[in-house]
Amino acid sequence: MNTPLFGAFEGPKPGKHMLGPIQNLDAPMRHYGREDEVDFVIVGIGSAGGVLIQRLARAGFKVVGFDAGPFWDVERDWVSDEAGSHKLYWTDQRIIGGSTPIALGENNSGRGVGGGSVHWAAFAPRLHPSDFRVYSEDGVGVDWPMSYWDLKPYYELLEHEMPVSGPAYYPWGDPHGYPYGPHPVGGTGATLIEGCTKLGIRVSIGGPVAINSGSHGDRPHCIYRGFCIQGCKVGAKQSTLYSHVPDAIEHGAEIRDNCMVFRVNMKDGLTTGISYYDAQGNEREQKAKVVIVSGYAIETPRLLLNSACPGFENGLANSSGMLGKCLMVQAGDVVVGRYAEPVRMYKAPPAHALTEEFYETDPKRDFARGFAIQTVGPLPIAFSKQMMATKGAWGWGMRRAMMDYNHWSAIALLGELLPWEDNTVSIAKDVTDQHGIPVAHVRYNLHDNDKKLAAYGCKVVQDVQWAAGAEEVVSEQRFAHLVGAARMGSDSRSSVTTSFGRTHDVPNLFICDGSLFPTQGSANPGLTIQSLAARAGDYLIWQGDNILHRGQEREGTPPIRRDLSPRGTSGRGMPRLKSSQQRIEIGI
Amino acid sequence: MSLGSLVDRLLNGPGPGHTGGEPRPAATTSASAKDTELWPVEPTTGQPLQPRAQPGYYPGFHTLSQKDFWDEATRNLVLDRVENVPPIRFFSVEEAMLMEAVVNRLIPQDDREAAYRIPIVPQIDKKLYDNVIPGYCYEDMPPMQEAMRLGLQGIEAIAAHLFGKAFVDLGPLDQDQVLLTLHDGEPPAGDLIWKQMPVTHFWVQILSDCCEAYYAHPYAWDEIGFGGPAYPRGYYRLLNGEPEPWEAEEQRYAWAPPPSCLSYKDEAIGHGDIKFVPGQAASH
Repeated sequence: MNTPLFGAFEGPKPGKHMLGPIQNLDAPMRHYGREDEVDFVIVGIGSAGGVLIQRLARAGFKVVGFDAGPFWDVERDWVSDEAGSHKLYWTDQRIIGGSTPIALGENNSGRGVGGGSVHWAAFAPRLHPSDFRVYSEDGVGVDWPMSYWDLKPYYELLEHEMPVSGPAYYPWGDPHGYPYGPHPVGGTGATLIEGCTKLGIRVSIGGPVAINSGSHGDRPHCIYRGFCIQGCKVGAKQSTLYSHVPDAIEHGAEIRDNCMVFRVNMKDGLTTGISYYDAQGNEREQKAKVVIVSGYAIETPRLLLNSACPGFENGLANSSGMLGKCLMVQAGDVVVGRYAEPVRMYKAPPAHALTEEFYETDPKRDFARGFAIQTVGPLPIAFSKQMMATKGAWGWGMRRAMMDYNHWSAIALLGELLPWEDNTVSIAKDVTDQHGIPVAHVRYNLHDNDKKLAAYGCKVVQDVQWAAGAEEVVSEQRFAHLVGAARMGSDSRSSVTTSFGRTHDVPNLFICDGSLFPTQGSANPGLTIQSLAARAGDYLIWQGDNILHRGQEREGTPPIRRDLSPRGTSGRGMPRLKSSQQRIEIGI
Repeated sequence: MSLGSLVDRLLNGPGPGHTGGEPRPAATTSASAKDTELWPVEPTTGQPLQPRAQPGYYPGFHTLSQKDFWDEATRNLVLDRVENVPPIRFFSVEEAMLMEAVVNRLIPQDDREAAYRIPIVPQIDKKLYDNVIPGYCYEDMPPMQEAMRLGLQGIEAIAAHLFGKAFVDLGPLDQDQVLLTLHDGEPPAGDLIWKQMPVTHFWVQILSDCCEAYYAHPYAWDEIGFGGPAYPRGYYRLLNGEPEPWEAEEQRYAWAPPPSCLSYKDEAIGHGDIKFVPGQAASH
């Protein structure tokens, strides 16, 4: 089996911008002139920005998206290789500190169009209803300025638009089913199922994960090659680059890639647009009626802090002093178990089975909130670092441990850590990046509840590994995802934006990304980030020009624009199951 | 290995790449007693085991033989990694020789025939020269280039303190003793250096760099039975650790590390007291 039947794989077709093996950008992109004032500028076309630009373009607005990284042609730019995928991550300089410094870069920060959704593992669980009422129910953290039920219709929309594959009945939080069938189980999933079943823990198999279990439009189904977080060349795993950006371009959006925005410009208390360095390093300006910052939980506060100006000396939208505070990560301890028989955990998506049985606060435990348990599938380089961290392996010990790579199975904790004001993003004034822009200084400290939760959760995951028959179990402390640092809230004294991401201080300046999260639950944030973006889109479209003047806004909640879904997504998939709270909806 | 040939290897790589499926016939080598000390041993008899073209439990498995099934961008990248070993541009000749000696203990390859060793120092040099930063820097640590130079000075200081010799002139056990003090977070010399950066941060940086180079190479994938690039073909056999038709069944053999090493015991870095962030790839 050394030669393909029809010769070596030929690769991309000349002259086509390929988004996967079949999908390509066939519509020419619109280009606005240098003096044109557009309706919206979005800074960062990642998980949130990718959805929002699609909504605004489809509604007919003039919108330009900026991204510091490239507009990937995935057939040419991406590789099926761990070391070769470094460029997918945000690797500009940042300084880390605090009592528990958080690894950035490939751990949690994306770069280029699609942003973090390019390298996420694509677990797509919803938050639970309790996540929106953490302070009311548990006396910790803070409540969201919205409820689960406000966001639920957008979860349902995005689960079709991504789309999400998963079981027909998902029992946790607000029980629901998924529009597309679950994936088959791989080696790590089999371990998780075996261990959980022995311990009487319910487990969800084959999802929820935003990876095609069947082909979907011009996007093929998953081929189980395991390189999800190196960027899915297959086109099966959702990123906004695949699911929303092509529709945005088709409807007249412009995306300027390799353009680093360094300042939000202000005049008379309103923003007038942004200044950026273009791909050649020239300083440019783009005028806009509304600016939306979608740079994720470090770059968003960095840009707004770096945009300080007369009247906004502490940074834009920072009258509360909360900008850059309450940055959150999730406890992501990786627990690896070695088995007598081979597992080969590099096959199948790293994300394909999980349990949320420990998600909610349990009065029998000595900490608030809870955690999920999920499969992971580290490739050799990541796994060698786990051997270094868990076993202290080096030298011959490393070589020996790694020869057993195929016998290990990796399962991880995903635990809710609470928002604390001493977990911050600030500006390191004496360190600048390659453009000369001051970089972010990220400090992180664990608090008592966080430590207890992580320790307890890690013990449960170890129990699962032992129950599944592992012969050796070791654990590594790790932290996943980045949210918070520009949180939404109903009180302008303790938050940066409203629930629609509108900043309390500047009427036409919005934030739309994970930095809005007041708390984070134990769900991977991707689905919630994209759902919030769709909701913010509906708000912006509904308000129109009213947004430019404080006090002229429409009151209430915008209608849900199901008609703005990307082509071929709305109403597809399995009809919904009846949930405990809502009447049956057949399709959308 | 003579000084001249070491420098030659550093500057020119391990020789012409070979990207076909089958390993080349073993070169005839006359091993000196000093070399056999470095070889892994048969655990019951203690007899040194001859180096192999492909150590590990998957004889006959060659990821590179599947290269025609890979997409073009991946094929070009991986073949370039195998065939074109980057030149030494960051390290001075002295630094490169010290690095080579250190790396030979951090990821020893004495069980590999010389033609099948994986170049590590040139990849680390390239990363430092091209300034491929991980996207963050500890507030209590200098930039990685400066950290690497400081760390190498620290290693020399410890070697001088413990044995009164340069690191490269030490035997394998003594070299491991020097490195073990870094692993344990208890360097007995070089205080001024370790005040500028925590020793554990340096240990994690240099060992991570070695792992990133070694386990990025197809020979290492063959050794551990990893399937390698898998687009556009994908995998079919997801369960029970079964190999694909083009992969190989595991065939284990017994081996123990050479007696001339201290890197075999699994003990937490810094005795587990020191917090650090390995910064491994996102896994969820």
